[in-house]
Amino acid sequence: MSKAATPGVPTVENQTTEDRLYTVKYTDHEDSHLGVKVPGICVEKCQQAACQTVCPADVWEKQDGDAPTIAFENCLECGSCRFACPENNVHWEYPEHGTGVTYRFG
Amino acid sequence: MTQPNYDDHFDAIVVGAGLAGSAAALTMARDGLDVLVIERGRSPGAKNMFGGVLYTPTVRELTDLDGAPLERYVAERRYGVLTERDETAVSMRPGQWHEEPHNDSYTVLRADFDEWFAEQAQDAGATLVTETTVTGLLREGGSDRPTADGRIVGVETDRPDGTIRAPIVVLAEGANSLVSERSGLKQRDDRADVAVAAKEVLKFDKETIEDRFRVRDDAGAAYQYFGTGAVGDAFGGGFIYTNKRTISVGITYRIEDAASGQTPQDTLNTFKQHPAVAPLVADGRVVEYSAHAIPEGGKDAMPSLVQDGAVIVGDAAGLVFNNGVHLEGTNMAVESGYHAGKAVARALGEDGSVNHSSLRDYPAALADSFVVKNLEHYAWFHETAAEDRELLFDRVPKALAEAETEYFKMDRTAKEAHADRAKDRLLDGVGGYIGAAKLAWKYRRMLK
Repeated sequence: MSKAATPGVPTVENQTTEDRLYTVKYTDHEDSHLGVKVPGICVEKCQQAACQTVCPADVWEKQDGDAPTIAFENCLECGSCRFACPENNVHWEYPEHGTGVTYRFG
Repeated sequence: MTQPNYDDHFDAIVVGAGLAGSAAALTMARDGLDVLVIERGRSPGAKNMFGGVLYTPTVRELTDLDGAPLERYVAERRYGVLTERDETAVSMRPGQWHEEPHNDSYTVLRADFDEWFAEQAQDAGATLVTETTVTGLLREGGSDRPTADGRIVGVETDRPDGTIRAPIVVLAEGANSLVSERSGLKQRDDRADVAVAAKEVLKFDKETIEDRFRVRDDAGAAYQYFGTGAVGDAFGGGFIYTNKRTISVGITYRIEDAASGQTPQDTLNTFKQHPAVAPLVADGRVVEYSAHAIPEGGKDAMPSLVQDGAVIVGDAAGLVFNNGVHLEGTNMAVESGYHAGKAVARALGEDGSVNHSSLRDYPAALADSFVVKNLEHYAWFHETAAEDRELLFDRVPKALAEAETEYFKMDRTAKEAHADRAKDRLLDGVGGYIGAAKLAWKYRRMLK
């Protein structure tokens, strides 16, 4: 999304999603709190990969003909993927025992 | 880990220590109930984010705001419509907003504010446990399938021996209301009714914030942006709010639009680089990135607020208001928590019996409050504006920019000719006099 600089306008140095996620405090948990309910639905029915495009944290990565890979440790627990999937195929739990994201600002 | 045994020790269990949950807990504790608040985060607010401006009339009614972690009061509101490179804006700085209590409008950061508000509930006698997730509801007869119709008699948690029984459960679990959904108390919202929001908190020194936003001391600014320059072809908007030493910048738009390919990250990046936005946000150090889903289904998406043994409050009940001008939710959360808490206190007899019909006082009081009245009055807005997205957020902003460019054009032509052409640009944008009249008629209810 880089744009040619407009005269008189400062250039904003936007960070990559990866760098943005470095600013977030997480507590690790071993088991994924995210998943797909039926992998076959992702393989056969998914056209939009809505989980991937809606996720602000690049958690979901959908490759053609496959169920998505899930970088659950990056999850901001926003829940957008849960609503986005037209097949309602996202399995979504809260991370247990206070793990997962801990906002310091919010 | 040894746990105190909480089973059957409390009059009410509150699921979630956000603003709705703490308002309910504070209200019930004040009315003499033994209240247990269960929060999944490490501390109240740890899982929460919003834009955000908090409107405090109800909070101030419930507790003393002195000592509350407020960032700045809103001294200026700005509404900017953006094309890809133009801004046309209305800015308001009424003198009255500088006077206490500052129109009850303050920027806050949720990690601080929610923790403080939960402390007010604790000070009133409520018990708070953190790092504990409620995983389901307990029903009379044992089962908690969505089809179960037994009375709700407590909660299951992720702690060992984590079953806790109590006469009433207050569900304040937020936008991702997993417990309510699984227990069949509500349906998962349709994605057309949910927005995604992403925001950065940017660190600046105090002087930079004061200079860029023309504020001093505790005064601050709340800027909202619409149009293709804010969120591209999506239905939504951008925002900038000043905190004490940070600013919050973000975007929010329908998940439907994100699903069809426009990512929150690209949308945020493009918004921040807009010529009218970049000078306000450039060179800030990102100290936190956050995101959340927002239930925007309005009145029609509200679930039944009362069940046998449970009430639903705040975001979990879909209590978010967005009519383009006003963006509210946290104030509605507090209001709903208050009314729910009052109804629960009335429903619980001194002998421990529950008068379930008294719980009906909650939806009745809420229907009488600004929460449901606002949702009802503007129920038409969201769908209408979504249908008119291209006109409102693309054609009108462009027409405004062309008209103002024409009107103020400096050359050797007499001003009358420029004014004529400016009027033509505006009329072209809205479909002539008939189009303008239709638009005015359609949106007349904004002013009623």
